[in-house]
Amino acid sequence: MGQVTGKKVFSIMALCVMVSLLLLPVVVSIPSLAIGADAPDAAKKDEAKVEKGRDVYYKTEGIVVGAPAPKTTDGPKDYPRYNFESRVLLWFANQQHLYYGSFVLAVPIFCMVIEFMGVVSKDKALSKRYDQLAYDFIKISLTAYSLTAILGGILIFTFLTLYPAFFGYLSSIFRPVMHIYALMFVAESGTLYIYYYGWDKMKEGFLKWIHLSMSVVLNVIGTLLMFLANSWIGFMMSPAGVDEQGRFLGNIWHVIHTALWNPLNVHRILGNMAFGGGVVAAYAAYKFLASKTEEDRAHYDWMGYIAMALGVAFLIPLPFAGYWLMREVYAYRQQMGITLMGGLLAWLFIIQATMIGILFLSTNYYLWQAMGRMRGAEKYQRYIKYLVFLLVCGFLVFITPHTIVMSPAELKAMGGQQHPVLGNYGVMSAKNGGINVIITTTVLSFVWYMRGNKVSTVSWAKFGNIFMGCFFFFAYVNIIWLAIYGYYIPANVRVGLSVPQVATTLSCLFFMFALNSVMMKGAKQMGPIEWGKISVRSQYALIMLATAFTWMMGLMGYIRSSVRLFWHVNEIMRDNSPWAYTHTVGFAANMISFNVLFFWISILFVFWLGSLTAKKAPVGEKAGVPGGAPQPAGSH
Amino acid sequence: MGQTIVYILISTVICVAYFTLVDHYLMDMQGLDYWYLFRK
Repeated sequence: MGQVTGKKVFSIMALCVMVSLLLLPVVVSIPSLAIGADAPDAAKKDEAKVEKGRDVYYKTEGIVVGAPAPKTTDGPKDYPRYNFESRVLLWFANQQHLYYGSFVLAVPIFCMVIEFMGVVSKDKALSKRYDQLAYDFIKISLTAYSLTAILGGILIFTFLTLYPAFFGYLSSIFRPVMHIYALMFVAESGTLYIYYYGWDKMKEGFLKWIHLSMSVVLNVIGTLLMFLANSWIGFMMSPAGVDEQGRFLGNIWHVIHTALWNPLNVHRILGNMAFGGGVVAAYAAYKFLASKTEEDRAHYDWMGYIAMALGVAFLIPLPFAGYWLMREVYAYRQQMGITLMGGLLAWLFIIQATMIGILFLSTNYYLWQAMGRMRGAEKYQRYIKYLVFLLVCGFLVFITPHTIVMSPAELKAMGGQQHPVLGNYGVMSAKNGGINVIITTTVLSFVWYMRGNKVSTVSWAKFGNIFMGCFFFFAYVNIIWLAIYGYYIPANVRVGLSVPQVATTLSCLFFMFALNSVMMKGAKQMGPIEWGKISVRSQYALIMLATAFTWMMGLMGYIRSSVRLFWHVNEIMRDNSPWAYTHTVGFAANMISFNVLFFWISILFVFWLGSLTAKKAPVGEKAGVPGGAPQPAGSH
Repeated sequence: MGQTIVYILISTVICVAYFTLVDHYLMDMQGLDYWYLFRK
């Protein structure tokens, strides 16, 4: 009894320490705020010496408290170099840090969700399985965490060594919050280690809730860290809080809260989650393929499914967040938007569209394969060809370019730069239709998967099924209708059609998932899900999914960074290094591929390291027997 | 069979009405006219 009380006290103390760590940066920042508050008074006294500037974005006046952005020149002083392109070195260091950073921020969020599902689950066996799964996830993340910190160090050294003038300017602007970032990092590390090593000690009852609360604190810290890091890239793309010479005007919130900060935050959270889900799913697939026993195969099949489902749950809203980001880019600087989607970088968006299509095709393929482990799901097999048709049509429209690079002879033969038929699919109206058809089809695949081995027993099942069929049918009709309608109305009206198109897709997602869950409550089971009895091909689809995520992340990072063209900080600090030009598409693609390859080789090493410590499982036994395994989430 | 047709009809009416409302109001919220082409 005394020991339990002692554990409780210890756990509460640990939680308090974490909350204190979380609040520490706020407390530390109070004196600097106080200094800021005194500043106007001091300024009044010495008004003659005060210089005021106008914020380039907020258009407010402020007292100049920083130095102007340095005017760099091409030479070893501002751009020291090795006999290699400095930007490529920085690109590599940045990308690797981002991959690992995204992974270690996403996985604890999964852990939190899965641990919570375990805690609230009434089925003891299922609860243990969820707990084991969450533990497996955090174990992978922990090894990657050290590597993330090392890569962060390498990145800072790369900046200091190769771009000292730029890095000096950026850190001078963000000086008021730099120490907060560092302290948040310390808080993140401390919380993660207590969370991981406290797992076994806090596995039941009240202590489990304390443990779960720790995961919430951990994720709040992680998310704030990411928001702070996002403010740097937001500032580089759409600076605020400085005057036209780049002088800091004393309001750090303006510097952080730039035009693109919020869309970047939302896009990155969703992207990180989708990426994290993909990497864990690939890990599970790799372990599945390497498994020697049925039990292991069942466990890793289940793990792969959960990771994939979580990843795809965040992949579905990702294109909409991306659309919002692009809208904000256009609103901030129209020219920047045109460079991205209609100019220099437009071809990279065609590659991006291809990658998005591959992601959704892989997801759908996995789900159709996964139906093979359920008795009763055969009834859907004959309809899959229609889904393939819809997906392929949506995909082909989505990847069709507006214009094609051609020789003069080809141009003449085609009668212009735009193909008379296919050129029509190269506009936004068609592409919005294409991607919404793809996402709606993915939602439909998920609905089929969730009801694969079940037959609804509710009295209105027949009406429910017909209504669901009609809803999907009319959703497709509405999406395609809006895409066609867009060709007949002016651009300023057409641009608004994307909103009802997205709403149509989201209606299918939310309403049909809800309707399906209600219909499947107490449904008759045709047979259990036979975990582990899935085709090997499905696991390669998971690996494909993860690789496509990784490649697309590298591509989008490059596009976002390249849109600044020859600016370190857009319109404030010019990049005068010899590498201030946009690479060819081929070079960029090779570089991204190299980064992807390096990441996967290094993460395989991380997985291997993780497997060395896999000798002890702290919670219960490993996976259950295939066939007897409980179903993982919601109706599934 | 008759019941199935009734269910299809009811579902069709609900879905068409719902998606028309979605199209109309979401365009209206942006200050745009969904019926632009038909009013011209």
